[in-house]
Amino acid sequence: MKAWKTILIVAVIATIVVIAGTFAYFNSLPIPELRISSTTSLWDTGLLTEIKNQYEATHRVDIAILHQGTGLALASAAAGDADIVLVHAPTSELPFLTNSTLVCRKIVAWNYFTIIGPNSDPANINGKNATEALKSIAAYGRSQPSGANVWISRNDASGTFTKEQNLWKAAGFNWTTTSKESWYASTGQGMGATLVITDQKNAYTLSDLGTYLQFSRSGSVSSSQIALIQGSDYQLLNVYSVYAVNPQKISNVSYNEAITFIKWLISDAGQQVISNYGTANYSQNLFSGAVQPLKTGSPQPDVQWIQQYAFFNGTECPTQYQDDHPELYP
Amino acid sequence: MNQILDGIVKAFQLIFSGDPTVYGAVYRSLLFSGVATILAVLWSIPIAMQLTLKDFHGKSIVKGFFTAMIGMPTVALGLILFLIFSRAGPLGFLGLLYTPAAIMLGEAILITPLIVSIAVSSIEAVDPEMMNLAKTLGANDSQTSVTILKEGLNGILFSNVAGFNRAIAELGVALMVGGNIVSAGAHSTDVLTTDISTLTAQGDFATAIALAVILLLIVFGINLIVFLARNPRVLIMLGRTPQ
Amino acid sequence: MTALIELVNITKRFGDRTVLNNVTLQVQEGEILALLGPNGSGKSTLLKLMAFLLHPDTGEIRFQNVPVTVKNSERMRLQSTLVFQKTLVLNTNVFNNVAYGLKARKIPKTQIAEVVKKALKLVKLEGFEKRPARKLSGGEQQRVAIARALVLKTKLLLLDEPTANLDPKNAGILEEVIATANREMKTAIVMATHNMFQAKTLPTRIALINDGSITEVGAPAEIFSKLSKNLASFAAVGNTFRGTARATSEGTTIVDVGNDVQVEVTGQRQGEVAVFVNPQDIILSKSALESSARNVFRGRITEISDLGSLVKLKVDVGKAFTVQITKRSFNEMELNLNAEVYIAFKASSVQVL
Repeated sequence: MKAWKTILIVAVIATIVVIAGTFAYFNSLPIPELRISSTTSLWDTGLLTEIKNQYEATHRVDIAILHQGTGLALASAAAGDADIVLVHAPTSELPFLTNSTLVCRKIVAWNYFTIIGPNSDPANINGKNATEALKSIAAYGRSQPSGANVWISRNDASGTFTKEQNLWKAAGFNWTTTSKESWYASTGQGMGATLVITDQKNAYTLSDLGTYLQFSRSGSVSSSQIALIQGSDYQLLNVYSVYAVNPQKISNVSYNEAITFIKWLISDAGQQVISNYGTANYSQNLFSGAVQPLKTGSPQPDVQWIQQYAFFNGTECPTQYQDDHPELYP
Repeated sequence: MNQILDGIVKAFQLIFSGDPTVYGAVYRSLLFSGVATILAVLWSIPIAMQLTLKDFHGKSIVKGFFTAMIGMPTVALGLILFLIFSRAGPLGFLGLLYTPAAIMLGEAILITPLIVSIAVSSIEAVDPEMMNLAKTLGANDSQTSVTILKEGLNGILFSNVAGFNRAIAELGVALMVGGNIVSAGAHSTDVLTTDISTLTAQGDFATAIALAVILLLIVFGINLIVFLARNPRVLIMLGRTPQ
Repeated sequence: MTALIELVNITKRFGDRTVLNNVTLQVQEGEILALLGPNGSGKSTLLKLMAFLLHPDTGEIRFQNVPVTVKNSERMRLQSTLVFQKTLVLNTNVFNNVAYGLKARKIPKTQIAEVVKKALKLVKLEGFEKRPARKLSGGEQQRVAIARALVLKTKLLLLDEPTANLDPKNAGILEEVIATANREMKTAIVMATHNMFQAKTLPTRIALINDGSITEVGAPAEIFSKLSKNLASFAAVGNTFRGTARATSEGTTIVDVGNDVQVEVTGQRQGEVAVFVNPQDIILSKSALESSARNVFRGRITEISDLGSLVKLKVDVGKAFTVQITKRSFNEMELNLNAEVYIAFKASSVQVL
């Protein structure tokens, strides 16, 4: 037989061996893989790595974190490429719950978005609430010569972007037309990259507090960018929920391990990891664990706001989506 | 500017301290791209021989196709493979998405057009009477093919190195089908290029620069070795320079 | 006695050009057959057919009475090998080149080493084993090619213009090797050439080929006597001219070959003859020489071919003569196209046919 035909057959066999080999290898590994698809902002703050390290210290599992942004995170779940989803865009999440892709939702954390901008604050937003601030920014932007970027948006289907869009709507703007005005710029990238760009352009942007603090501390964002609007404001509420991917709809997902993880995340141990994160470095916590507060009803008005903003049909997880795990919802 | 300089300094610190994140990424880059190159070479040489030594209808179209595909954007290929390997896709049952095998396979597909095109040129550069020479000296078909390959070996080796360079330096495929999973152990799919991208987005410029420096060293290093192998006179000349 | 190889009614076409037209030829075991004809007459194609590298469009080839087909040609090629006109060596050392065919035949290594050594000795390249073949001179490479063919001990050895581009020293070695091979190994040899001098001394038979057809086959003496009458078709063969001979009173003969060119030859001849002068016997000069050469002509250089250490020139003195000089002479004389030169050769250098 001709030499090259032999080589070609060897090549095909080699390819099959490589694929089969990795397949068998991963299946025989004593440590199984658990895939969590999540947001870029959670990853950028470093909380996901901390959760992974803490969980792996006490559980025989290898957590693989896909930090792709809320949009892709939800799509990955639907495709069956992830076992757990941890995101912060309730309006985007709901369809996946109602079409049975995701089950067993638990709200695990909350914090508040901030509006970051130059400390000279040319748009004069200091002291205002979120929607008022956006109106001021738009007015300022329109007064600037064309091409000056005043507001930087992520525009990437992320939870942060969804929040931003809703804020513009609440402030009375038609986002579709407003976003086309020359002072409004989009990066299509993650939180960290967007903060850096905002800093370079001396502009304003919406960010979660954690990523901003992290980047400010490392010097990636200069000291002339500060959190102008922060603190408790219903309009800036940011709620994180965790879901397991439904094994009855999506095949080949690690459902039991996912439930074990969720149970840990809502336990005191997991909640402490969340609540303590960042206190050492920033003398404030970047996230607040949501499980206890939802149970006890304190602090207010935060708990009431969470229920108003993030509950579906008046509950954290409607019964039909609790999928045989009522113990998660005492 | 300060940041860049600080970055470079930290880069060398990381390299020489044997930092495990850094060396893990180096290991995976070399492994995945290495296997990808081996696979691609195994397919590409027979394809190149078929395109040079045989005549068939549409041969020039096939050759043209491979040449055109050399410049395939890595993200585009990455996206296509992502959709194919995803569990929701046609090859989903293989469970390849976000595994090292996906990167190896994806990069192998990426570099195949490059290797095929260069190999085809090298074989075509061999004297056309070479086949007749081998035959008249008694070689059978497969011996003849091997002889032609040997005559074009220089160019074929070059094509392999070019393929490896493209594989190890690409970002799109590794990111899309690998998922840049940072993990202790066999599930990791982060490589030098994906790490550089993510670390930069996170603002960790120092580590990103370190990885970029290493990646450049690898690529230059390999090309230097190949150059010296083909031009041993340079080594000899260097050896002879007066002290 | 059955022929070693027989070609019956062979026709070969390339596209719409008929290169060989109804050729019938036999080669006997152990003979040396010269294929004599001008460039483009189909010599190379005929040799390739006899090497089973090509297949005829019509007709049949039989080797040792076995018909050669596409299916069995791979096997048949083990018995017949061709040395190309344009020397081709593999990109490796001399040893690997010469050993190539033996390795293909899976001869054991120890045997190969011995055989290669002997072959290199025969072509006067002892000790050249490790040298990279591509770094040798043209003549040395051709000797490697011959050694490479000889070690195979095929029944049939085909040579396409083996000495056409060689200097006299290498050409001489090659002719000696060919004669030895035939004598000692009884190899049948078919040699394509347009060098009439070679055709006269080496072969047992000569076949004349022109325009894709074989016009005559026979022993050299027979052919050459016929040749003088058929020379019109051989005009393209270098330095061969037809003319009318007139004996002189000094014991020589003047042959008028046309265009005012009169060649003086030794001996007495009369009537229609053909004359031939070896290019290497012609002296080239920029001015008229006073010498003992009887034949001196003035003309212009019309063609220059670089053969490495040699340069082949065509000088038009009324008739075109091919002259061969060393590269060094060529450079020292500062010659170029259209330069006016003189050629000179002795009467005794002229072959009369």
